Amino acid sequence: MSFYRTSDGDGRRDFLKAGVVGGTGLSLASYAQLVATGNLDPGARAKSAIFVNLNGGPSHMDTFDPKPDAPSEYRGEFNTIQTCLPGIAISEHLPRIATCMDKFTLLRGVSHSVAAHELGTKYVNTGNRPLPSLEFPGYGAVITKERPGIPELPPFVAVPNSAQRAGYLGVRYAPMNTTATPVIGTPFRVRGISMSGGLTVTDVERRRNLLTQLDRTFSDVEQNSQLLEGMDEFGKQAHTVITSEKARDAFDIGKESPDFSKPFGSSSLGASCLLALRLVESGVRFVTVSNGGWDTHRDNWNVLKTRQLPALDDALFGLFTGLAARGLLDSTVVYVTGEFGRTPKINTERVGRDHYPRNMFMLLGGGGVKGGQVLGESDETASMPKGDGFSPDDVAASFYHALGIDHKQEYYTTTGRPVMIVRDGHVITELFT
Amino acid sequence: MRLNMNRMTVPSMVAAVMLYLPATGLAQQPTSDSAMRESVVLRFVQSDAAGEVPDFQQHVVPLLGKLGCNGRACHGSFQGRGGFRLSLFGYDFESDHDEIYGRIDPEVPSDSGILQKPLMQVQHEGGQRLKEGSWEHHLLMRWIEGGANGRIEEPPALVSLEVKPNEILFAADGQQQQLQAVAVWSNGMKEDVTALCRFQTNDDQIAEISQDGLVRAGTSGDTHIVAFYDSAVVPVPVIRPVSDQFGDRYPAIPTPTKVDELVVQKLRKVGIVASDLCTDAEFLRRVSLDVTGTLPTAKEVREFLAETNADKRRRKIDELLERPGYVAWWTTRLCDFTGNSDDKLNNVTPVQQEASKQWYAWIKKRVRENMPYDRIVEGIVMAVSRDPGESYQQYCENVSKLYTKDGPGAAAYADRDSLPHYWARQNFQTSEDRVIGFAYTFLGTRIQCAQCHKHPFDQWTQNDFKQFEGFFKGTTARQNARPDAKSEYDAMVAGFEGTEGLKGNDLRKLLATKVTAGATIPLAEVFSVKAKSSPAKRDNKKQKNGKPDRGGVVPATAKILAGPVVDLTSHDDVRQPLMDWLRSPDNPLFAKAFVNRVWANYFNVGIVQPADDMNLANPPVNAPLLDYLGKGFIEHNFDMKWLHREILNSRTYQLSWIPNSTNRLDERNFSRAVPRRLPAEIAYDLMTQVTRNDVKNTEFVTDLGKRAVAIPGAALKQRNRNPADYALTVFGRSIRESNCDCDRTEEPSLLQTIFVRNDGQVLSMIDDADGWLAQVAADNNLPFSRKSQPDNNAGRNTQAGVARQFKARIQRLRQQIAEAEKASKTKQVATLRDQLKKTRKDAKNQGALAPEDDEEKPVADVESDATTISAPPVPTWNVTEVINDAYLRTVSRFPTADELQTARTFISESTNPIDGVRDVLWALMNTHEFIVNH
Repeated sequence: MSFYRTSDGDGRRDFLKAGVVGGTGLSLASYAQLVATGNLDPGARAKSAIFVNLNGGPSHMDTFDPKPDAPSEYRGEFNTIQTCLPGIAISEHLPRIATCMDKFTLLRGVSHSVAAHELGTKYVNTGNRPLPSLEFPGYGAVITKERPGIPELPPFVAVPNSAQRAGYLGVRYAPMNTTATPVIGTPFRVRGISMSGGLTVTDVERRRNLLTQLDRTFSDVEQNSQLLEGMDEFGKQAHTVITSEKARDAFDIGKESPDFSKPFGSSSLGASCLLALRLVESGVRFVTVSNGGWDTHRDNWNVLKTRQLPALDDALFGLFTGLAARGLLDSTVVYVTGEFGRTPKINTERVGRDHYPRNMFMLLGGGGVKGGQVLGESDETASMPKGDGFSPDDVAASFYHALGIDHKQEYYTTTGRPVMIVRDGHVITELFT
Repeated sequence: MRLNMNRMTVPSMVAAVMLYLPATGLAQQPTSDSAMRESVVLRFVQSDAAGEVPDFQQHVVPLLGKLGCNGRACHGSFQGRGGFRLSLFGYDFESDHDEIYGRIDPEVPSDSGILQKPLMQVQHEGGQRLKEGSWEHHLLMRWIEGGANGRIEEPPALVSLEVKPNEILFAADGQQQQLQAVAVWSNGMKEDVTALCRFQTNDDQIAEISQDGLVRAGTSGDTHIVAFYDSAVVPVPVIRPVSDQFGDRYPAIPTPTKVDELVVQKLRKVGIVASDLCTDAEFLRRVSLDVTGTLPTAKEVREFLAETNADKRRRKIDELLERPGYVAWWTTRLCDFTGNSDDKLNNVTPVQQEASKQWYAWIKKRVRENMPYDRIVEGIVMAVSRDPGESYQQYCENVSKLYTKDGPGAAAYADRDSLPHYWARQNFQTSEDRVIGFAYTFLGTRIQCAQCHKHPFDQWTQNDFKQFEGFFKGTTARQNARPDAKSEYDAMVAGFEGTEGLKGNDLRKLLATKVTAGATIPLAEVFSVKAKSSPAKRDNKKQKNGKPDRGGVVPATAKILAGPVVDLTSHDDVRQPLMDWLRSPDNPLFAKAFVNRVWANYFNVGIVQPADDMNLANPPVNAPLLDYLGKGFIEHNFDMKWLHREILNSRTYQLSWIPNSTNRLDERNFSRAVPRRLPAEIAYDLMTQVTRNDVKNTEFVTDLGKRAVAIPGAALKQRNRNPADYALTVFGRSIRESNCDCDRTEEPSLLQTIFVRNDGQVLSMIDDADGWLAQVAADNNLPFSRKSQPDNNAGRNTQAGVARQFKARIQRLRQQIAEAEKASKTKQVATLRDQLKKTRKDAKNQGALAPEDDEEKPVADVESDATTISAPPVPTWNVTEVINDAYLRTVSRFPTADELQTARTFISESTNPIDGVRDVLWALMNTHEFIVNH
């Protein structure tokens, strides 16, 4: 009765319930195999990814797309500084990023038309303009479906949570949320993932043995039930994660040396980026970092220069140089974006800038993405891209491309509707040449 | 073009007919019928088909569909292909004709693009679709030669598509069966349209079908072949028995109820033998969890097992249906289906989160009273904010009271007539959203496809969708007053100081402070607007153009799905005819949608599965069963408890989960109980229940106050207002936002397992001072020490949690004082002592420390639940009783001899007995048997 076909060739909603009268049921193991043999481009260099979401919509003009010569009603109060790329200037409040611009590509003139936070966020987190009738899966869900991680660790971790949901792919591709933000120099753990309350590995092993002995009621029928089989599998994984020092350590940024942690600064964004790096290094496939405070309708310049930009400057500098220092930059693609830019014309009443999707910046680096270049350009007032500009869909397609995933591949939704991973995007080839 | 409703019951008519096939493997010839036009294959075998001109709707569009032209990947794509766009799945005859007509050469028909492209006489990206000289080629050619006309004026309606045979029973590999499809039109014409149908199999492992309608047997099992023609969608069951015990060879199985009779009737065909009856212990656990979301207490299990009355299962069912757990669970389910989501109710009430509480309370009262389902629904479908006869002023007075700090609260909302919040949700404002949401909630149907094109799996066309929208345009949800109460609204606002110039959020915030302080404030309103005949005509024109109408204009007419056109101007509330249709005995979906969801609650899967996806191409696995229950539900005046009893008292519900060789792989035909993970709220409540001591455990059965199943609203956003929130998110409580029963998930996940095994919250529940473990320690005078941190997360909102936090802080301060004294830091000691004094005062003020508690009292007394009491172990304690108790309270049965021995040995080898008992309880909570209902 599996009429509802999904990406896996089987009913998604019925995955664990599928009634297979005499048919050949898709077991969890064969399913894992199916996934493992996804349509991957073996030439891709990125093996894992970090997505940094700057919630609220950072002002492009006061960060990566300044227009010092624009009229005063546009320009804003910040000066610019030269970066390590000849002829390229960015905001004076990003001095450390200016020194590591060789690690990523700066995209200017990215443009869309969704000016609301929630919808804009969905757009940049899925690469698809949101539809009311269909929830698109976030990048992390797609990537961990195509490339499952290692058994000791959850494949998709969100710090502390994420707008990237599993969407029509089904809940098993949802992220594991840390639900809390780490602090640099302080031990960090995720609920349930490490032992506490005086329990030792010996205690845990001992009760697990008891469990194995007592949990026999269904043992004769387990192979008939995908639910029981799945729970068995999760039981094994849970035990590994709980007792694995690797899992505990991966989350504990307190274990990083002060020398390595210091460049990330003292903000929660910096600590989150450090955690993302550590997780990727341990084998987590996809990490999202979410950071707020960018919705600067009021007091834009003061908020940016005292709070937002110093944190961002440290965090991204730490992340890019840290990945490079650990030899991970080549295998990790990093994508930094907000949901939109902010109005080039200053809102003088509130001394701020408002929502503006027509022109924004994005950063893409590592994982085979060429560093040290700026692609795209905006007009004199940073109001529109010059030329066609890029869409979030294009950047999404490129992001997938870096990971060896063909964004034109089709999945099936719960209602049997076929949908491309990114419906309307084109890979930006200049990112990779 | 109207379809009659009978088509929706086609599946119910087929099951009576059985067709045993000869194993010759030969296709049967289509039967002949004098009044019937023979197949187009024969009529157009020659290029000049005796001058017959094919019809655009009956022949040309279906043929293009069959050739794949209007498919999604080709010209059916919304962008079209090569500048040529057809409506997806073809039901927009006007625009399709326009598009095709531009590719016709009336002078030299054979030069028409519509022929040259698919014949590959010119380059065609889609490849060759037509063979030169085929009947398809001739048919299209004749249509062009005949003038290439579009759909005729006032075309006949397709009355039915009769597919023969109406059930296929295969017995061996390689068997084949030819289908024949006959279209019956309202003008009396009948035509063999087999060659024009599209066919699909719902499971190609069991049956394959060629595009000529030839079915081939695959492996054993049961599925459906579906035939599509025009707007008709007809499923044909295909069965190949999975064992040799079918038909006459089927064993005698008791069928004490009608439900059993119908279930076994199907099983007999498929050759699946039902499992045996489950044990009393299994029954009690299963039915208690299913009906009340609560485990039986250890005492209840003992009593039920000892009871000898033959009628005890029936009596237990009656008893459970009267418990508060039943009310809480079905209130929660109805909140799921109707979409009670905090996220979508922002600003619906002046005080946040009150709307979801009122919603829950309103439904709860009606479930408790067992109000007929159709009357509950009427209160939702026909909802307006004002009770009958209330003026705006009175409405505001009556409802404002509910927000007052010491007022009656949200519970009192239950006494109001209707539930307008359903209409006030943010995702229920446009008429399109309303059609989709309404169809989901009350019809168990996903109609959204038809918003943009012909529904690929159902009869609904885009026109059906648009014409149905009219019923939803007369209801307005305003955040302020309705137009005729605007002056009163303004006057009330002006009556408050400081409101001048305030708008939106700022005004809302101010009014919220007034209403909680006891004032009457102007409130938001859901109200109904009458249809007027004149503007509606314009509206109809607009609809014809295919543009979505987002305006608030109520059209003069609207059309019931698969039903008549209704004059809306004659109704005070245009939703009245909609409600009348819902509860009418002829409604094909309303009763069945609820019946199917209740069935799915008890059997893991619905009779139609997914349970909220009733469509013609997704037929019920047992149509007579769904018909029987649907009809019975209506005949018993939508009495929900009748439905529950009818299902629960069946032998089918009470079957064992232990499979036999024939039903090992069956999870769809109800031949055994299917183990399924407990729903999120119930899973969490159970963990709480089994760790409590006997007194608290028993209270759990009747006191719903702290339970997860009593949390009114749900949301995607985790608000962490309730200690259960994290667990509910991990276990997949419904987020109630996307018109899908799949908003609730019962799939397992890694985080769930990690939660039960190792989350501080669960470990802390086990060690709780009010816990069973502490009770065992106290009863047996055994030393007890925690193996977990006191759980701040869980306890944040509870008195015990507050007390625990204070105790921890006091202890910390004492340690610091001791250290400071040791280091002779006198100044620091003084500061710390001040802090300690203040903390103790705060603790007393908040009731976390007894008022008479003073400094001199020894520390150990205050910390009794966190430190070791070193009493010598009593060797005589009854370890068997403790283990029995652990089993009874978690898996509702006594341990087997082996299990008892394993647990005894484990405890005796533990460092101290309570550590051993703790691990036994922990292990039982982590068995599949615990978290799975079976």
